[in-house]
Amino acid sequence: MDLTAPAIELTDLDKFYGTFHALKGISLTVAKGEKVVVCGPSGSGKSTMIRCINQLEEHDGGTIRVFGTTLDDNVGLIDEIRREVGMVFQQFNLFPHMTVLENCTLAPMLVRKTSRADAEATAMRYLEKVRIPDQAQKYPGQLSGGQQQRVAIARALCMQPEILLFDEPTSALDPEMIAEVLDVMVTLAQEGMTMICVTHEMGFARKVADRVVFMDKGEIIEEAPPEDFFGNPKSDRTRLFLSQVLGH
Amino acid sequence: MAAPSIWRSKRFRGAAIQAGFVAVLVALIIGATLTARANLSAQGLTSGFGFLWKSTGWEINFTLMETTTTDPYWWYLLMGLLNTLFMGVIGLAGASILGLIVGLMRSGRNPAARLLGTIYIELFRNLPLILQLFFWYALANALPNPRNSLAFAGALLNARGIYLPGLVIGRGTVALAVLAILVSAALAVWILASRRFRQIEPTRQRRLALCSTAAGLALAALAVVLGHDPSQPWITMPKLAGLKIDGGFRIQPEFYALAIAIMTYGAAYVGEIVRGGFKAVGRGQMEAANALGLSPWQVFSRVRFPLAFRAMLPILINQYVWLIKATTLGIAVGFSDFFMVIASSITHSGQTLEFIAILMGGFLLINFSLAAVLNRLNRAIALKGHQTTGAT
Amino acid sequence: MTAPAGSARLRRLRKAYFGSPLSALMTLLSAAILGFILWKLLDWGLIHATFDASGTQETCAAKGGACWSVIATRWRVILFGIYPYEEQWRPALACLVVAGVIVLSCLPRMWSFGKLALTWTIGTIVFYTLMRGGILGLASVNEQQWGGLPLTLFVFVATGIIGMPLAIGLALLRRSDYPVIARVSGWIIDTIRSLPLLSILFTCAIVLPFMLPGFLIGEKLYRVVFGAALFFAAYQAEIIRGGFQGIPKGQEEAAKALGLSYWQRMGRIVLPQAFRLALPATINQFVIAFMETSLIVVVGFMELLAAGNTAFKTGEWKFAYAEVYVFIAAIYFAFVFGLSRYGAYLEARMNVGHRKD
Repeated sequence: MDLTAPAIELTDLDKFYGTFHALKGISLTVAKGEKVVVCGPSGSGKSTMIRCINQLEEHDGGTIRVFGTTLDDNVGLIDEIRREVGMVFQQFNLFPHMTVLENCTLAPMLVRKTSRADAEATAMRYLEKVRIPDQAQKYPGQLSGGQQQRVAIARALCMQPEILLFDEPTSALDPEMIAEVLDVMVTLAQEGMTMICVTHEMGFARKVADRVVFMDKGEIIEEAPPEDFFGNPKSDRTRLFLSQVLGH
Repeated sequence: MAAPSIWRSKRFRGAAIQAGFVAVLVALIIGATLTARANLSAQGLTSGFGFLWKSTGWEINFTLMETTTTDPYWWYLLMGLLNTLFMGVIGLAGASILGLIVGLMRSGRNPAARLLGTIYIELFRNLPLILQLFFWYALANALPNPRNSLAFAGALLNARGIYLPGLVIGRGTVALAVLAILVSAALAVWILASRRFRQIEPTRQRRLALCSTAAGLALAALAVVLGHDPSQPWITMPKLAGLKIDGGFRIQPEFYALAIAIMTYGAAYVGEIVRGGFKAVGRGQMEAANALGLSPWQVFSRVRFPLAFRAMLPILINQYVWLIKATTLGIAVGFSDFFMVIASSITHSGQTLEFIAILMGGFLLINFSLAAVLNRLNRAIALKGHQTTGAT
Repeated sequence: MTAPAGSARLRRLRKAYFGSPLSALMTLLSAAILGFILWKLLDWGLIHATFDASGTQETCAAKGGACWSVIATRWRVILFGIYPYEEQWRPALACLVVAGVIVLSCLPRMWSFGKLALTWTIGTIVFYTLMRGGILGLASVNEQQWGGLPLTLFVFVATGIIGMPLAIGLALLRRSDYPVIARVSGWIIDTIRSLPLLSILFTCAIVLPFMLPGFLIGEKLYRVVFGAALFFAAYQAEIIRGGFQGIPKGQEEAAKALGLSYWQRMGRIVLPQAFRLALPATINQFVIAFMETSLIVVVGFMELLAAGNTAFKTGEWKFAYAEVYVFIAAIYFAFVFGLSRYGAYLEARMNVGHRKD
């Protein structure tokens, strides 16, 4: 892996579900340290795109390059890339049979072969960062949604990834809990983490995004810095979407 | 990064692993077959299915049709299969009826009946079936000898079996009559369950089903009347003649011990399934039915039972397959079911591999067709727009 | 409204038992059936029964009740079969070891792979040493002389020890991403499940020796145990599969995204959760497996049931089949009832909250 190369380069990415063409030749480049917000109506392929990056979905055409390494048929490559690319899910996906601390130390110990003491120290550091170190010994089922999502972010951070993918991290949360998760994400962004966020939180996009990408029907319609994207959208579809999202 | 070797390729790895898996299995099967052939031919046995047409030369103690020692193996196997099915049908029917009663007792409101149902289920479900079978068989054998038979309404009960007053008709006639009833019953079920008959009115549908059942019964009766030899009396009563019983219709201890064991044991399981089914019916449905002013019987027969039945059926299917397999316990007391016929055939003919193949084929056929029929029924009655769940 | 609590309770009871004519009839009928059976059992088993070892058919018949003398004189045959008489302290001790190991593995505190594996390995070694002998100054006792309760327990425990890993393997194969492997394992599981256990035991005992190369044939007991384990595994694999289906898809995706390998995902994330979900059904499967150990009597083993048969089938005790069967039934019932109560307790405990303890 070449850390000087662009963090992510997608070229002509194609993805089919049966006969349904989910991604129609997507091309996107994300530089190291860049924060990209992806938005668009449901079913537009946003989630599919970022799930292709860490190969939770296999792509059918085009190339995916992470730090200059091209993802191909090679099994070992996928493991290597997953180590460097963290992911936060809509449904948190914390492991319910492990404590918060165990959730955070599992992957560093198994994948990075970190010692238990080091892994726990790192985990506590990140749990402090997401502001819930006091919940370390609890089980996910005992936490609120917002707390769970913050644990999920800490868990991803514990692998010390170069890139973080967010797949609608606030969509499953009650309104009063969205802010606490977004706060954590803003902090991360300010510290220079490379981030791709699929989200409908336009306030967040305005505040931290270097670029906003609008997708519809498996295509990238528009790609612009937030001030241009919100101030002067070029496409009709973008305008319609923005009026729906911001309208109320 | 090293150049990706072919073994690192996901696609190649997938193909190789799958091919390897199949190859290992095939090698195991071929190896076992070859070893077995070598071992068997060392004992002077030829493989192949030609022996099926040779006569057996040994006796089978329970058959539904005329069988002698000169009959070939295939006939014996067929009789065994028929015995298994016969025992299966009787066992399943008995277990279902008794199980329904127990289940209703368990899910009713009367605490005394509930207690009785609970005791029944805990007792019969927590003891090995074969232990229960041995007990019933020992009980049957401990009955008085024929001289001191217990008499009850024309029937005689002794260690040799149960002797009932019997109709004098040939076995072929019985087979014909049973066939007529079975076909008509299947037809009736099809009329009631098939979607093709959804268009016509329910009353007409029910009348049609009734007609088909009646026609089947009439055909059966006709077969019996026509098949009866006029020179013989219609009914024979069992009578003591010397040391044994003459006349009547004998049920062997092996048969009824196994039937009782399967029925009572199966009923405990069916009872639990029935209770689970009734528990799955939503309280709201019952309240709605009561609020509409239906009588208790109508609530039960039109709302509660139909909904509960849909919840039970998928689990019942598994239980039925299990009970059919339990008929193989016949070998423990000497009832010649399919498995026992196979086991005796192996000892007498030595055609081990062939018989094991037939055994597997027979049970796969019985169980897959039973499951297929019941699954079909399940799909036919499943609530439209709901997912058909395997278990609740 | 302010009626004394006692009469309100009485009214409730009356409503429950005699609320309607039908209910009253059912109450009376059930009470009559229960009372009759209970009285008959008491009368037979206690009041008119003979307990001392000196009873014979005549003296028992004179008293009119059960003849427990058969148990008093023949209990060692029932419990230990034809195991050499002077050595029977060994199977007795072995039974205690197995019981101890089973109780230990029922404690939630012991539920980790390492602890369970250690307990079972030690238990197996101690059991085998006691039963088989040949070392530590113990006289060697051939497997063919094993019988009674220790044989039943051995078959049960061995079925579980061999069957459970096999079940996990089959379940994983069936959910494999490789379509051929998933399909073929599905066929294997379904085929085994639709065969009667008896036919599998029979095949293993009598047919398998023809199909195996000489060095693999081994003792008949071990072949039969393998057959029982295979059957157990096919059923248990489907139970585990049910557990898999209850796990949200996101769990495995999260594990993948963290970079966990296949075995790490299975071992740490998928299987632990699947087992938790499948626990009640698993306990039930163990109950059935315990009862099905009695089937080995058909392929010629002297386990508890067969040993019981020999206890009364010889000459003077021929009349006392009911007493022997009641005795054996009590042993089975105690074990099975205990296990299923334990299952109910676990289920209730899990329903309280899905926390680990």
